[in-house]
Amino acid sequence: MNNRQRQSGKAKGDNWRSELEEIISGASGGFLFGIPLLYTMEVWSIGSYVQPNVLLGILAITFVFVLLINRIEGFRPRESETIPGAIGETIETLAIGITCATIMLILLQRIDLRTSLIEALGKIVFEGVPFSLGVAFSRSLISGDPNGYSDNEAKSQGSDRQQNSSAWKDTLTDISATIIGALFIAFSIAPTDEITVLAASASGLWLLSIAIASLVISYGIVFASKITNYQERFNQSGLFQTPQSETVISYLVSLLIGILMMWFFQKLTLSDPWYLWLRYGIILGLPASIGGAAGRLAV
Amino acid sequence: MSKNLFRRSLAEQASFLISLFIVSLIVVLICYAWITGDTNPPILSVTTDKIRQVEQQYYIPFTVTNSGGKTAHFVEVIAQIKIGQEQIAIGRQQVDFLSREETQSGEFIFDRDPQQGELTVRVASYQQP
Repeated sequence: MNNRQRQSGKAKGDNWRSELEEIISGASGGFLFGIPLLYTMEVWSIGSYVQPNVLLGILAITFVFVLLINRIEGFRPRESETIPGAIGETIETLAIGITCATIMLILLQRIDLRTSLIEALGKIVFEGVPFSLGVAFSRSLISGDPNGYSDNEAKSQGSDRQQNSSAWKDTLTDISATIIGALFIAFSIAPTDEITVLAASASGLWLLSIAIASLVISYGIVFASKITNYQERFNQSGLFQTPQSETVISYLVSLLIGILMMWFFQKLTLSDPWYLWLRYGIILGLPASIGGAAGRLAV
Repeated sequence: MSKNLFRRSLAEQASFLISLFIVSLIVVLICYAWITGDTNPPILSVTTDKIRQVEQQYYIPFTVTNSGGKTAHFVEVIAQIKIGQEQIAIGRQQVDFLSREETQSGEFIFDRDPQQGELTVRVASYQQP
């Protein structure tokens, strides 16, 4: 009996908290899978001119793909054993993917009040596809195990780890994991023109919104979702091992990685003003912090 | 217990209904755009706003609009200042994509006062995507 089947027996009564955690888990997978394509100008462009009938076709094909994935995977820890159940989970998967993609497109100002309806729909559908696939694959995307961790497994591993590791070692491990995860994502985005394009249109308020979104999403991936060893994270020792402080410190590390990457690829030079460094850092800090969060889950 | 539409908890039912609404809304909006869609070529127009002077520079705000059906790619907007038959200044701008009913704004910057001559701002060309 796998974990999905074991957990299916627990699903009785209305559990709003558990439902929210499952949705956040799904959304976390969506962000991990969808964020590289969100920083791709060509995807914005395709969404600008594709005709509505093509968009409907893409939605239909995505629906079928996600439905097939949900028969064996899905973002919920319980199996969709019936066809109506799998269809229901597929609709939820698409809705989470579309919602996350829409929020990010608004945040990065690729959609605003002047964007025409069909262009907005084109961008939402094209960016929504990778987000939806990420939602469907969310449990195996981070843990690498479609069955995920059970609470007991996580707790026992967490307590063992707590006994065996020092605070310094845990802190160093977390920083290293954040750096590796942030590098993994930021390295492929930093040399592209997307960062400069996005930075050019971002005002101070938008930059602040992006920074807050980076913190919220990375917190959601590591602590609010139940994708993987989240209990272990809570039990872990370290110099900043409260969820809030770990999120903030890791974001600062990701921000630094983002800035260094922009400097490495000559997008920033020492003669550039400090606000340009900050601006580019915050824009690249969003995908870097998501990569950093994934990196911390992997350790 | 297998999960299906009829055995879901209240929280799951609420999630499902909200999800169904979101996906349905997207599908309905795409269908609406399809049905009411105009398949005519782009119709591009440009308007200018009040000229502002900063030191010795003249800023000419413009807004380009696509009131046609299809999206225009690489829309080129040209501004010229002429005195008599002589062209004394020219500026060019390019808009990557201009979808149906979309507008984009920008400014031309000249070091000659446009009011001393005849200012012409027009769309010169576009590509089909």
